[in-house]
This record gives sequence, C-alpha cells and structure tokens, in this order.
Amino acid sequence: MKKKSKEIEKHKKHDESQSTKSMKRMEKEGPKEIADHIKKIAMDIVNDIEAGKNPRFETKLRGRGNVLFDEDLGIIKLGDKSSTRTFLNIAHARKFMQTMLIMAQTHEYLTHGKTASIREIYYELKHTVGKTGENTFEDQRESDAAIVDLEHSIDTIREKLNVHANPKGTLYGDITLIDRAHHNDTFNCLKLGRGGWSIMSRMEPNEIEIKSVNADYVLVIETSAMYERLVEEDFARKNKAILIGTGGQAARGTRRLIHRLNVEYKLPVYVFTDGDPYGWYIYSVIKQGSMALAAHSRLLACPDAKYIGMTIQDIKDYKLQNVTEKMKPMDLKRAKELMSYDWFQNKPWQEELKMAMEQKVRIEQQALANRSLEFVATEYLPTKIKNKIFLP
Amino acid sequence: MASDKKAIKEKNTKEPKESATILTAEALAKEFKEHSVAEFFKKNMQMLGLYGKVRMLTTIVHEYVTNSLDACEEAGILPEIEVKIEELGPEYYLVTVRDNGPGLTKETVGKALAQLLAGTKFHRLIQMRGQQGMGASGCTMLSQMTTGKAIKIISGTGKGKAFACELAIDPKKNEPKVYNLKDIDRDFRGLMVQARFKGVLYKESLMGPLEYLRRTAIANPHAKIIFRSPKGERIVFNRTTTYMPKLPKPMKPHPAGATVDDIITLSQVTKAQKVSSFLKSEFDRIGDTTIERLQKLVNFDLNKDPKKLTWQEAEAIINAFKQIKFIAPSTEGLIPIGEERIKKSLESIVQPEHVCTLTRPAKVYAGGYPFQVEVGIAYGGKAGIVSEEGSDEESKKNNVLDVMEEQNQGVKVEIMRFANRAPLLFDAGSCAMTKAVHSIDWKRYGIKDLENIPLTIFINFLSVHVPYTGAGKQAVADEDEIMEELRLALMMCARKTAHYISAKRAQIERKMKRDIFYRYIPEVADALSKITKKEKEKLIKKLEQLVLTKLKIEDKEEEDKNAKKVEEEGEEDYEEEE
Repeated sequence: MKKKSKEIEKHKKHDESQSTKSMKRMEKEGPKEIADHIKKIAMDIVNDIEAGKNPRFETKLRGRGNVLFDEDLGIIKLGDKSSTRTFLNIAHARKFMQTMLIMAQTHEYLTHGKTASIREIYYELKHTVGKTGENTFEDQRESDAAIVDLEHSIDTIREKLNVHANPKGTLYGDITLIDRAHHNDTFNCLKLGRGGWSIMSRMEPNEIEIKSVNADYVLVIETSAMYERLVEEDFARKNKAILIGTGGQAARGTRRLIHRLNVEYKLPVYVFTDGDPYGWYIYSVIKQGSMALAAHSRLLACPDAKYIGMTIQDIKDYKLQNVTEKMKPMDLKRAKELMSYDWFQNKPWQEELKMAMEQKVRIEQQALANRSLEFVATEYLPTKIKNKIFLP
Repeated sequence: MASDKKAIKEKNTKEPKESATILTAEALAKEFKEHSVAEFFKKNMQMLGLYGKVRMLTTIVHEYVTNSLDACEEAGILPEIEVKIEELGPEYYLVTVRDNGPGLTKETVGKALAQLLAGTKFHRLIQMRGQQGMGASGCTMLSQMTTGKAIKIISGTGKGKAFACELAIDPKKNEPKVYNLKDIDRDFRGLMVQARFKGVLYKESLMGPLEYLRRTAIANPHAKIIFRSPKGERIVFNRTTTYMPKLPKPMKPHPAGATVDDIITLSQVTKAQKVSSFLKSEFDRIGDTTIERLQKLVNFDLNKDPKKLTWQEAEAIINAFKQIKFIAPSTEGLIPIGEERIKKSLESIVQPEHVCTLTRPAKVYAGGYPFQVEVGIAYGGKAGIVSEEGSDEESKKNNVLDVMEEQNQGVKVEIMRFANRAPLLFDAGSCAMTKAVHSIDWKRYGIKDLENIPLTIFINFLSVHVPYTGAGKQAVADEDEIMEELRLALMMCARKTAHYISAKRAQIERKMKRDIFYRYIPEVADALSKITKKEKEKLIKKLEQLVLTKLKIEDKEEEDKNAKKVEEEGEEDYEEEE
C-alpha cells in the first residue's frame, strides 16, 4: 500500500480536485438524483440489449487489491480499478440478475419515498425463478452483495438508496434534530431522558436534519456501560459535550452522524475506547474508514478525530497496574497487524502498540472505576481534553 | 459337441496320462495310473475353478457353452445355444444346455463327456477358449459326486437318428459308463446336456452365469444365446453378425518360448528319426541354417534319435535357442473378433451412447508367444455398472462444469476381460487387463473418475498360449510386452472416446448455460422494464437472441480448442509406441 500512496502523490492535484468534487456531489445527492442515476444505468443496459450487445454495468473492484490509504485526505479509499459485470457470462449472470432486481426495487423506493431494511428488501425480492426451485436470492448474503454492487456502481451509500442495515448507537447531548421523514418531529437530545436517542441507520440530511448543536466537541464511547456512566455523571451538560455510544464497532448510521457533526458543524471528535486492539480498530474505522466500506469513507470517516484513551501510558499515569488484563495470542496477532497498517504509521501509535505488545497488557474503560466511579467524568476526560493529551 | 475331437487328437498328440510316464519309471507310472485322475480331481477341485458356490455354477455353464461354441465353429454352424437353470431345492439346480452343433456320436459321447482329461486342446498350440477349467467331463464328475445322478444326453448329427442316453464316470478307471441308450424318432440336430448339481448357488451378480453369458454373447457376436433363469425369465442375446470366425490353425511352438519340458514331451511323440528333423518339424521358424548354428552350440550329435534325448541335452538345446535370433512367430493362429463386430456387439448388448473399438496388430511376448489385443470402450447409456457405494451427496453440489458427473451418479466403470473370447469373471485384481486399465491417466481423456462414469471397457486378449497367473485361469500375467500393448490399445481407443465425451460435455454445458440464461432473462427484463418503462416482452426476445448468438460462438471456440488438445495428446501416445 506504500507504493500506492506514492502513486497518489504523483496525481495529487488532479486527485484532490476530483475527490472534493465527488465528495460534494455525494453529500448533496438526494433521492431524485440517485433515482435518475439508477435510471441512466438501466437505460444504458437497455440500449446495449437493443443494439445486440452484451448488457453490462461497471462497478468498482473491491477487496484489498483495490483498497488504499489516501494520506492527504487521511482516509481509506477504493482505488480506480473497476470491473465490468456482464450478463452473458455464466459466472456473472446470476449476480447480474440480482443486481437488476435490487436496482428496480431501490428505484421504486426512491421514487415513492419508501425505505426498507436490507432484510426487508431480501424478503420482498425473494422468489423462485424458472422451474428448478432456484431462488432469486438463496439467502440474505446474496441480496446484501447485490446492494454492495449497486452502491459501488453508482458510487453512493445504501442509505441514499433508501435501504438500511440494523441501527445501533445512541446519541445524548444538546443537539436538536428534525425527522423530515416522519412528521417533522423536532427534538432536543438532552431532553429524551437517560436513554438518549437511538441513532437511525439512515442519517441522511434529507431525512434527519441537524437543526442546532450546542456543544464544544463530540465524545464517541465504545462501551454502553461507559456511555451510561457518563450520562449519569451528567458529563454532557457539565462539559458541553455530545455523547455518542457505539456499543462496539460503530454502525454505518452512527459513523455517518459523527461524520456530519465533524464536517457540518466542525466539532472536534474524541474517541474513547478500551485500550486493546479491538478498541483501537474501532477508532481507526471512525477516523479513516474501513476496508470493507472503502468506497464510502468520504461520507463516513472523520480524518481529524482524536484518540483519547484508554492508552497503555494511562496505566502508569493513573496507577491502574493492578486492573489490567492480559493480552491473548489473538490480541497480540491483531496488534501486530494494526502496526503494519498504513494509517497507524505514525510515531505515537507505533510506540503505543509496541508498548502494548511488550507489556502484553490491555486496559478496559471500566478499569478507571478502580479510582472511583466519577473519576472518569471529573478527572480523566476533562484533564485529557484540557491538556490535549491525545493520540493522533 | 466336439464330434471330431477324436480325430484331431489322434493326429496331434497322445493321451496326457501316458505322457506322464516320460519322466518317471514305468512301474511308478503304473501305480500313478491306479491312483485315478478322477480321484485326483475330487481332491483338487479348487484347482479346476470349482470353489465358491456361485463360481462353481458359472464354471459349469462356461464348460458347456465353450464346448458348444467350439463344436459349432469347427462344424461351420452359426451357434445358437440355450442355457436353462432350474432350482430344484436349496443349493440344488438342474442345468440344461442345448446347442445346434454337429452333435456327438454314440462312440464319441462317452469320451467327450465322461472321461477326464480326454480333451483335445491340451497339447495343441491353438487359440481356443477351452484351455481352462475342468471340461464338460468334470461337470459330469461333479454332478455325480454331489447328487449321485448320471447326466442326460440327447444328441443328433442331423443325419440318421438322434439318440438319448445317460452318462456317468467310473472314477477308479476314469472310463465312461453309458446307461439307457436309445434312439429317438424325431429330428434333432445338436447336443443337449442335462445335469444336476448340489452345493452350488445361482446369483445374478457380476460373477454369476447370466453375466457370464452376457459377456460370452458380446465376444461372440456370431452366436445367439438364450438364457432361462431360475426365476423363469427368458433372456435372449441375439447375434449381430453372421460372419463365422475363421477356424484357428494349430501352431507349432516358437523356439524362443520353448521350455526343456516342451522338448522332452514333444520328442517322445515325434515320428522324426533325428533330433534335427524333429526340431524342424515340431518347432516354428527352425530350418537348416538354424540347425547348423545349433550344432555348433551343443556338444552332442543332432542326428541322434529324439526319443533318446536326455534332460541335459534338451537343456543344452534350450540354452542354445537363447543365443539364436529367430524370426518372430507366425500370427496365423490368432483370430480376432474385429473392430466392427465388437462395436456392433457392444451396441446391441451393452446399449451405450457411443462405442469405439480397436484391434491391434499381433505382437509377441516372452520371445515366442504371439498375442493380440482388442479393445472396446462403450460410453454413456447403459454402459458401466451400478456402483454399490451409491451417490455421493457432496459431489452433487451444483457446479456448472461438473454437470457430467452429476448425470453419472451411481454408475462406475465396468471392465470386461476376455481371453480368446471367453469371459474372465474372477481374480480381476491380479489380471494384466485390469492393471492396464488402472495404469492409464484417464483424466487426459476427459474421464475424471472411473468410479463415477458410465463406461464399459471391453478387452479381448488373444494368444495361442495365454499366460495365466494361477490354476484358476482367470487372470492374465502382466508380462511387459502384454502390459505395453494393452496400455497402448486402451489409450488409442480412449482418445476416440475423449472426442465424443468432450463434444457431449460441450453440448450439455451449452444447454445448461442456455437454461441458466433463459431462467434469468424474464427477471432481468422485468427489472429493466420497471425502471425504464420499456416493453418487457421485447427485452426478453432480444436477450434470448443475444444468448443464442453468444453460445454459438462459444461452441465453435470450444470445438477448435478440443480438436487441438486431442491432437497434441495423440502425438504423445504414438511416441510411446516407438
């Protein structure tokens, strides 16, 4: 991937303007634009058919071979390699058919203002073809793959296709949202009780509008327990913070919301996870994006997010030596992998990972309770934020 | 059966029990004779192929049918043989075999059917089926031993009156006993033998009489064979040719393959006065030049009386033979079935989709024995045998390219071995023919797995002297020359089969592909029509046209590729031949 970074260097200027342009377009694209885009692809295919040509559509090549880290944008993105799916190829025919079905169905959603979960669209489209007992989709994995195909083909995210995955993640803080897709409900997320607001899968501006935000930063928290601790300590009010609980790996909707708060409202984003390879990876996905969704980093990633903790240094600084956990072989292997990723190639992270591997320890967020329950809210976080003690 | 056996016998050789006197003292020989051949037979049934309840019944059928075929052929009659097996009780059967041959006379019937080792093929180098087993007299003996009953005969030569009688063997004297001989006042030509056997078992297995007859019919396309099973079914194997195979000529032994024992044995019966003329008259490819060379190599006079030849002298002759280069033996004695006739026969009886056959030129093994290989490969249809393991669910998983295997579920290769047209049903594992089949890389011929394919492989091994591996005479020894020839024949034939299989594979794949595309077309057309509002039916039609055009082009490419591939492989095969 190093090599690829250099390649990018070469085409830097061109690439930058291209990226910014397409990013802006992607941000702006609404249901009508997406529906038109789908229609254009369909028309191209129909034209192929009528001209006696092998029907085809272009989609981006996925997988590691076409994933690269854009150092300038600070995000993981998909390379330029594209692949052509043709109908008259026995290996493609079934996928081609499946993608056509997804296209027609999402086109229908977009033109009629409907939305569906990926499970619903699977059931809506599943039926037998011919007399062989073969189904359009044998399981949801197949329809999911066809959705990914379409996402990559028209360069957008499924949420913009009015299709979504299971929601996960909670929002708490002084932020007012308007649900444009549902009675224009308007609500402030500091007034919804301790449960906060369940972040939806589709967090597109045309559906969920951010009316106003009164906060200094966004704090993203990995574990639900820590999220609840901070709500209970009234951390959001006392520190003018927006709290977002991810409950493990952040869902697409949650990542989209963090991205929007970061981009639209220029709020700093601090990520607070367990001090272990899993936690660090959660951070890296929020910051640079993931390989699986490399094509959508521009809509999901927050390149200037900062890592607040837990760090191995914290163990020493906060005298947590007796509440660490041992790293298992899997953890060590994972840490070694992280060390090799392009986006972890900076001194502070290399040192952090090295320390973790040397000491073979990991530290959970809840370990801070060893000092006192409120310690995290009164001491740990405010001090770190005040003194800007972050990992990049 | 074998009416003229006696005549040939007198001309060619002498009674084998007398020839046993050569190596032993006269007195000892007499004592040996007292110890009757029949007694010996009783104690050594397994040596004669008489063990295993199923195998015994098959061997019985083999003996009678073989005799019938030989008799008919020698008399120039197209054979029509009816075999009937009736179950009389548990492991108790009545076997009736009737042919349309020349029949036996009252004088010959006893010797032919009730005297052990009275056969005529024993000391002749001639390609004949009945080199194995115990002979029809052995069956008489077996019947007698297991049931205490004599066998029943009806015989008619077509001229004069037919007659019926009952036959048994006097085991002490090894002499026939004839009972109830009477003339019959009706037209009857041929021979009917009826015998009872206990301790045998009828089974419709790969080693049973039905399979034996089926294979006999395949290798003898000029014969019509009718079988009535104990279940009362009547199964007819019709002849597919009226061409009578040429009668094989007796062959003189070739010196390169001769043994000391051969020399001693033949020297005792020769009419020649000198060893030199004895060798010239009794052996193939020996003339005056050879005798001259030979005289220089041995230290005794070749003009001596052959009857006085000692073992050491015979040994010296054999050693000298090894230093002399002889012309390869004549192959006149070999009578192949012929490619076309094997093909027709397999088509009629196996009923495959495709057959290709090959008759190789005669070759020589062990320096002196001519042999010849014929191969037939039948593919598809009813070829192959049902595999007992059943179908493997895992390999059934849908994979476009494995479509052929899917069709072949539960059928595996069937290897039909024949020695001089007689089916070999037993000891398959140790036979050169089986080994040759398994030594070939079938994948090269588009056959992925012999355990999973409708394939029948026919191999006929012809020789005046079949090198059997054991006394059961059911497996051919894997001599180098034989293996090479078998492999070559199989590969050449397999290549033709490969052509067919690849063409068929392409055809099936084409259809599979078309089906897949056609299945998806309405879905694709429907989706596109929903988005673009174009007419669905028109899109379907246009897409179907596209598919057909595309597949046509692919076929052409595939064909060209295959033709090239097989051509290349062919060249390799021929290289091996050199």
